[in-house]
Amino acid sequence: MSGEVAAPPSPLAAIRAIALNTFREAIRDRILYLLLAFALGVIAVSRLLSLLTVGSEEKIIKDVGLSAISLFGVLTTVFVGTSLVFKEVERRTIYTLLANPVARWQFIGGKFAGLLAVLALNLGLMSAVLGAVLLLRDESPWPLVPAIALILVELAVIAAFALLFSSLTNPILAALGTFAVYVAGHLSWSLRLLADKVGSGLGAVLCEGLYRVLPNFDYLDLKASAVHGLPRPPGLVPAAAAYGLAYAFVVLVVACFAFQRRDFK
Amino acid sequence: MTAARRGAVALALVAAVGVAAVSGARLSRLVAERPGEELLYLPNGEQLRILSLGHASLLADAIYLWAIQYYSNYEGADRGRYVEHVFRGVITELDPHYIDAYWLGALILIVEFGEIDAGLGLLDKGIERNPERWILPYLAAWESHHAGRFAQAEGYFRRAAALPDAPPVVRRAQAGMRTKAGDLDGALALWRQIADDPRSDAGSVAVARRQLAQLDARLELERLERAVERFRAEHGRHPGGLGELGTVAGVRLAGGSYAYDAKTGKITRRSARRVVAGD
Repeated sequence: MSGEVAAPPSPLAAIRAIALNTFREAIRDRILYLLLAFALGVIAVSRLLSLLTVGSEEKIIKDVGLSAISLFGVLTTVFVGTSLVFKEVERRTIYTLLANPVARWQFIGGKFAGLLAVLALNLGLMSAVLGAVLLLRDESPWPLVPAIALILVELAVIAAFALLFSSLTNPILAALGTFAVYVAGHLSWSLRLLADKVGSGLGAVLCEGLYRVLPNFDYLDLKASAVHGLPRPPGLVPAAAAYGLAYAFVVLVVACFAFQRRDFK
Repeated sequence: MTAARRGAVALALVAAVGVAAVSGARLSRLVAERPGEELLYLPNGEQLRILSLGHASLLADAIYLWAIQYYSNYEGADRGRYVEHVFRGVITELDPHYIDAYWLGALILIVEFGEIDAGLGLLDKGIERNPERWILPYLAAWESHHAGRFAQAEGYFRRAAALPDAPPVVRRAQAGMRTKAGDLDGALALWRQIADDPRSDAGSVAVARRQLAQLDARLELERLERAVERFRAEHGRHPGGLGELGTVAGVRLAGGSYAYDAKTGKITRRSARRVVAGD
């Protein structure tokens, strides 16, 4: 009789397996129908514009395209991301999964990687459709690439929050929480203004603290400058990407701790 | 479901459709009776920027498209009341780089409603926010020109011509506008610059040379007219001929053809030639 015991899978192998499974599951979630609707929407809009506008057709196509990529991406992140952990708990597959030599942080990491892959595919397809529409009008889509890359970084931050809330509560509350983070992240600059208005005291400290803790999605918003072809300070895109990815990592670590403490009995 | 119940449901449906249709028609009449009121509560660009959650440019597009449809409808006497608010206070606040919005807003203000200062104000805002774009001062220059403000137009052309991407036509327009503004010497200097500049294209050089010849002739005629006037003031009569003018007043003619009426002192040019000196 052999005394050998099967070696546990490497952390990366476990994360890859969970990510692949999450990706497959999400793809069956009719996301591609959403993409098709988006593609047809952009094409229809570009057709309609020549009837409705005076000049600015390309600008409007780019604005509509980038905003649609961002908004559809956020919707996908919220609806898919917030149910990722809950589905496993509801279907009780979490017990089978955690009975295996898989750490909880690997589970969260795998879910995040799978979700990010879905979002990247989502973004890639939408960007390809937008690019094709622009190329048909002899417009180069390449100046939009940095803006799209930072949209993906913003989605990574939102996905991390979606997983955090998904680890703590049910999908409805998690979706509300994630959407609240999206809104707060786009309004965080107003906390600074509020702190200035309040002046001093606890209120000002609270506003300043929230300003520093909440994500600032304005840092990741290059849509307008990409559409207008405005010059950017050198190193802006890598710095913004580093900010977003580091923020997502921190939120993901918090999500791992939260999931670690969760009792499934 | 019984037949009676089915009939009641069908009746209720027909009644609901009827009520909706009648109410809709009534509402459309009520709304039509208050033109422009929908704009009364349109928030300004700063407020809308907050609500847009990072999609301010898209919101600017939506309001721009709506504005085009709204101002293309020529019904309603006071539809011009909020044009400046819509373009200056909302669209260009949401997207300060929206060049077409500055241009179209100014065009509506100036052409449709005769608000030249408001239109130029909108273009000035665009120039301030987009100092590298030559097209806005260029458009402002033409609007000033159409309003007969040639000196102002020349100033806008000068700003446009100073920008690195400005095409040659802008400098030519600036020189032309100097002529219209009455600064003939300034125009002459600018045309000479264009003609002598090695970076000028062949078309601009040809236009500049033609303009130089015309301006030279015009300046010469003006100098002759001034000399005749001076002669009359000094001698109490008009010179007997251009020869006397040359001898007495020291005006030398470079050769060419002028018609001179000694009775009225009026000179008309038959062909271009130059006054050499002594004016």
